[in-house]
Amino acid sequence: MPLLLALLLLLLQGPASAAPAPSFQEIEESLTCQCGCGLTVHSCNHLQCGSALPLRQEIREQMAKGLGKDEILGYFQQKYGEKILSSPTTSGFNLAAWVMPFALLLIGVGFVTVTLRRWQRRGVHPPPLRDVAAPPSGAPRTAMERQLERELRELDE
Amino acid sequence: MTPELGPLALHLGLVLAIYAIVTSLVGVWWRRRDVIASGEHAAFAVWGCVIVAAATLLHALSIHDFRIEYVAAYSSSTLPLYYTVAALWGGQKGSLLFWLVILTSITAIVELQNRHRNRELMPYVTAVLMGIATFFLLMVVFITPPFEALAVPATEGRDLNPLLQNYWMTIHPPSLYTGFVGMSVPFAFAMAALATGKLGDTWIRSTRRWTLFAWFFLSLGNLFGALWAYEVLGWGGYWAWDPVENAAFMPWLTGTAFLHSVMIQEKKNMLKVWNMVLVILTFSLTIFGTFLTRSGVISSVHSFTQSGLGPFFLSFLAIVLVVSLSLLIWRLPLLRSENELDSLLSRESAFLFNNLILVGIAFAVFWGTMFPVISEWVRGVKITVGPPFFNRVNAPLGLVLLFLMGVGPIIAWRRATWAHLRRSFAWPVSVGIVGGIACLALGGGNYWSLVAFSLIFFVLGTISAEFWRGMRARQIMLGESAPLALLRLTVKNKRRYGGYVVHLAIVMIFIAITGTSVFRQEKQVTVNQGERFEIGGYTLQYNGLEERDTPHISYLMANVGVFSGDRQVDTLKPEKRFYKKPEQPTTEVAIRSTLGSDLYLVLGSYDEDTHMATILAYLNPLIGFLYWGGATLAFGTLIVIWPAPLAAREPAYAAAPEAREGTQS
Repeated sequence: MPLLLALLLLLLQGPASAAPAPSFQEIEESLTCQCGCGLTVHSCNHLQCGSALPLRQEIREQMAKGLGKDEILGYFQQKYGEKILSSPTTSGFNLAAWVMPFALLLIGVGFVTVTLRRWQRRGVHPPPLRDVAAPPSGAPRTAMERQLERELRELDE
Repeated sequence: MTPELGPLALHLGLVLAIYAIVTSLVGVWWRRRDVIASGEHAAFAVWGCVIVAAATLLHALSIHDFRIEYVAAYSSSTLPLYYTVAALWGGQKGSLLFWLVILTSITAIVELQNRHRNRELMPYVTAVLMGIATFFLLMVVFITPPFEALAVPATEGRDLNPLLQNYWMTIHPPSLYTGFVGMSVPFAFAMAALATGKLGDTWIRSTRRWTLFAWFFLSLGNLFGALWAYEVLGWGGYWAWDPVENAAFMPWLTGTAFLHSVMIQEKKNMLKVWNMVLVILTFSLTIFGTFLTRSGVISSVHSFTQSGLGPFFLSFLAIVLVVSLSLLIWRLPLLRSENELDSLLSRESAFLFNNLILVGIAFAVFWGTMFPVISEWVRGVKITVGPPFFNRVNAPLGLVLLFLMGVGPIIAWRRATWAHLRRSFAWPVSVGIVGGIACLALGGGNYWSLVAFSLIFFVLGTISAEFWRGMRARQIMLGESAPLALLRLTVKNKRRYGGYVVHLAIVMIFIAITGTSVFRQEKQVTVNQGERFEIGGYTLQYNGLEERDTPHISYLMANVGVFSGDRQVDTLKPEKRFYKKPEQPTTEVAIRSTLGSDLYLVLGSYDEDTHMATILAYLNPLIGFLYWGGATLAFGTLIVIWPAPLAAREPAYAAAPEAREGTQS
C-alpha cells in the first residue's frame, strides 16, 4: 500500500519533480496573443503580427536567461497584466475557474446517486402501505420476484 | 420591388405576430375554435410578411441598391452572386431577418402538421413560437432595421468581409441558425404541455423529429464551423474554444442530453421534470448564444459588430427563464412521476450519468466562457480563459462520456447482473484493451492517447456487438443473408441502429480529436527558392513565389512541391490574398488530405525581391475522421429521422415499449 501511494505521488508530480527547462512552445502556448485573434502566441499566424512576433522575441530573451517556466510566466504577467496568460492561474479567486466545473459535477454525481438509490428502494420494495399489511416474511415473495426478474431480464436481452 | 416594402412587411408582421399570440390565448379562454384558428392563420401571415421582407432585402442586394446602409456595408458590385445572397446573413441586421425567415417557416410547417393533431396544445405552441417571433420582429423593426437608408447614398459598397468570402459561408450560418431555431419547437411544445397539464409523452413524441432535425443542423453547423476555421484561420487547428464556438456548442451538449433522456421518459415514464429542465436549458442557451455573439460582452473574432442588442437579448432571456420555470414549478405536482429503479447497474443509470456529463461539459464551457467577465466583476482584473483551459478541463469529461457511450447501449434495462455484464462486456472490453495497446505500440503517444484509443475501441466493440447480435438473430431465425439481415435490422429499428451509426460518427470525431491533439507535428521554416525541408515523412521543396491578379483580389502564392520519398506526389500553393475592397490581406492555406493525415501549409512572411519565404507546415494526423465523422453523423441522423412507411406507423405507436425496443437476441 505505501508503495502504491509512493507510486501515485510520483505519477502526480512526475513532470514537476524532474523540472526540465521549459520548451519554447510550452511558453508560447501559455501566453495569449494580444492582437485580438483570441489564440495563443503559438497559434497566432497573422502576417507581421504586432503582438505575437515581439512576444516570441521576448520569450527567447527570457529563456536565454535560463529561467524556469513559472518565472518566465511571472515576468510576462508582471509586465502585461494577468490577461496575457492563456489560462487562469491556480491561486486565489482564479482557482474557482478550475474547481467549479468539477465541484458541480461531483455534487451532480452525488445527487444522481442518491436519487437513484431512492428510486431503487421504491423499485425493489412494494409501496409502504402494503409493507405494513403484509408481514415481511419474504420467502415466497422473493421467489416470485426472482422469477419476475428472470423473465424481465430475458425480455430485455 | 421597392425597398419601402421591407419595413412595411416587418411592421405588419409584428402586429400580426402579437395578434396571433393574443387570439391563441384568448381563444383557449373563450373556448372559441374560430378565434384559435384566426391566430393560426395570423402565424401564416407573419411568415408571408417575413418572406416578403427577406425577398426585398435580397432583391436590394442583387441590384446593388447602395441607398440602403446594409447593402452598402456588406456587399459590392463586384461581389460574386452566391456571396451576395450570403450577405443576407453576413451582418447583424440581415442575419436577424434571416433568423426570422427560418423561425416563421418552421412555425408554418408546425401549424400545417398539426391542423388535426395536438389540438389542445397548438394554441399555446402558436403563442410561444409567435412570442419568439415577436421578439425578433421588435429587434428588426426598432433596434436594428435592415432597411435603414443612408443619408447620402453610397456609390459603391464596402463589400463582405473577406474572411467570410468562403464557400462555408453559404452553408455554415444557415445550418447553425436552423439548429438554433429548430430547438424552439420542442420548447414551444414543452411549454404547451405545462400550460395545458397534458404532461405525458405526447409533447415529446410530437416533437421527436423536430428535436432531431434541430440537433442534426446544430451538429452540422458546429462541424462546418470547425472545418471553416480549419481552412480559413490558418493556425492548423479547427477548434479554438472561442466564445462564439462555445455559444454554438453549449446548446448542442444539452440538446444531446435531451435526446437521450426523452428515451427514458418514453420507455419508463421517468425523468419528466428533468426533460423539461433540459428543453428549457437548451432553448435558453440558443438565446444566450445569440446574445454572446451579438452583444459584444465578450470579445471574439467571429462576433458581429457592436450594437445595442445586448440588453434586449438579456431581457428576453430573463423573460423566457422566468415564464418557463414558473410554469414548471406550478406543474411540479403533476410531473412527479412514478420513478423507480431496480439497480444502480442499469441502462437507466447509465443514461442519467451520460446526461450529467453532457450537462457538466456544457457548464464547464459556460463557466470558462463567462469567467473573464466574472473575474472582472469580482476582482476588477481582466483575465483570459483560452484554449489550454478548455482542453484541460474538458478532456477528462469527454473521455468519461466516451466510456458511457460504450456502456449505455448494452447494459440491461432495469437491472444488470454480473453474469450479464460479463457476457455483454467481454467482447468490447477485450477490443478496447487490445486496440489501446496496439495503438500505443504502433504510434506511441501518451497516457491520454492510450486511454482515448482504448475507449474508442471499447465503444467500437459495443457498436459492432450490437449489430452482430441483431444480424445473427435475423440470420438464424429468418434465414436471411448477412447483408440483408443487417439492412433489414437497421430499417426495421431505425431509431436504435441509426443511433448506433451516430455513435460511430462521434467515435470517429473522437479519433480525429485525439489524433490532432496528441500526434500533431508542426514546423516553421524560412527557405530560399529551391530549398527543401521535411515534415512527417514528406519532403517539401519550395519553388518560389507566383502572382495572379483579378479585379476583385490579387494573389501571391508559394509553390511547394510535395515529395514522398523521391516521387513528387503533389504541388501545394499556400497563398496570401489581397482583397481590393476593403483592402485587406488574408491567408489561404493549402491542404493535402490523405486518409491518414492532412499536410497543411501556410505562407507566413515572404520577400518579393529575394523570393525567400517563411512557411508553416503542419501534419494533422487522423483529421480525415472529422470529415468522415461528420458525413456518418448526417447519415445516421437521417436513418433515425426517416419517417416510417405510413402503414407501419400506427402499430409502432401502439406497440408495447419492449416491442419497440427492437430485435431481441
